Amino acid sequence: MSNLHLDVKQMIIEALDLEDIEADDISDSDPLFVDGLGLDSIDALEIGLALQKRYGIKLKADSDETRQHFASVNALVALIQSQAEK
Amino acid sequence: MSGFRIQSWNAVAPGLNCPEDWRNWLQAPYLLDTQLAKIPLKQIPPLLRRRFTELGRCAAGAALPLLEDIDSIPSVFASRHGDTPLTLSLLEGIAAQQPMSPTGFSLAVHNAVSGLLSIARKDVSEVTAIAASEQLIAHALMEAMTQLQEHERVLCLIYDVPLPELYQPYVTTEPFPFALAMILSRGTGECFQLAQQQSAVHAEVSELMAMMKCLCGLEEQVCFSGTRGSHWQLCKADPEQV
Repeated sequence: MSNLHLDVKQMIIEALDLEDIEADDISDSDPLFVDGLGLDSIDALEIGLALQKRYGIKLKADSDETRQHFASVNALVALIQSQAEK
Repeated sequence: MSGFRIQSWNAVAPGLNCPEDWRNWLQAPYLLDTQLAKIPLKQIPPLLRRRFTELGRCAAGAALPLLEDIDSIPSVFASRHGDTPLTLSLLEGIAAQQPMSPTGFSLAVHNAVSGLLSIARKDVSEVTAIAASEQLIAHALMEAMTQLQEHERVLCLIYDVPLPELYQPYVTTEPFPFALAMILSRGTGECFQLAQQQSAVHAEVSELMAMMKCLCGLEEQVCFSGTRGSHWQLCKADPEQV
């Protein structure tokens, strides 16, 4: 697990009050929503806000692209890295 | 119809978790904590449980034990102030020009607690969320009674948490979080009647305390008198008249 992966997982845990979950419990590749971690649409908005606060990334609320970025921790890490390169 | 039956009830406050606790406390009261110890709410899946603030935990903690064998029941959720600590924190965020938490915003509406509980219980029965500035208990009972016209039984849930310090100079509330859950029924349980009164009756204890004394069998009646509007009395009734 890279530092950025750990960072993203900690961001998710803090932003969503996932009290009983630790970074190790979150898979890099499993889906974050519905299956896998089981997050819902309000969580998606909350993660969007956390990305903006922490990494300065602004996303469109309802585009297919955004859906792909939110698919897993790996996808979020890739998004953050691609934004950092710009 | 102004009569109804209370099939079962439960109430929580800091240190008081069941009717027996309340009866003992009312007979020998002591100062309660201002915060609720964490109610586990094991009946609710963890991902949903994290959405319950102190207000929601309090309300759910009182209601869930009554609902174990009930799949669906229409309900009245009554709170004078709602989730004021949460609302104030959102307002402070706006004042500091911070972006608002979508979760916080969604939970600050008056029917948030009822929404969470209906999702947790997968119960799609109708829900009414009300607020009243005075005589909250009387108005909640009235709303629940009218729903008894349509349904065999109705859950009536009354709950509040103390106001944040900023608001405390403006209104007197119970100094501790509380929730009272009652299942009103057409056919089962002790009979009560709610009647309008001509004049106000000076109350020595708060509405909640008076109501709890009546439910615990320590008093025969409760008067709900406001500084404005109408006055109400709840009293135990003869089953023949209900």
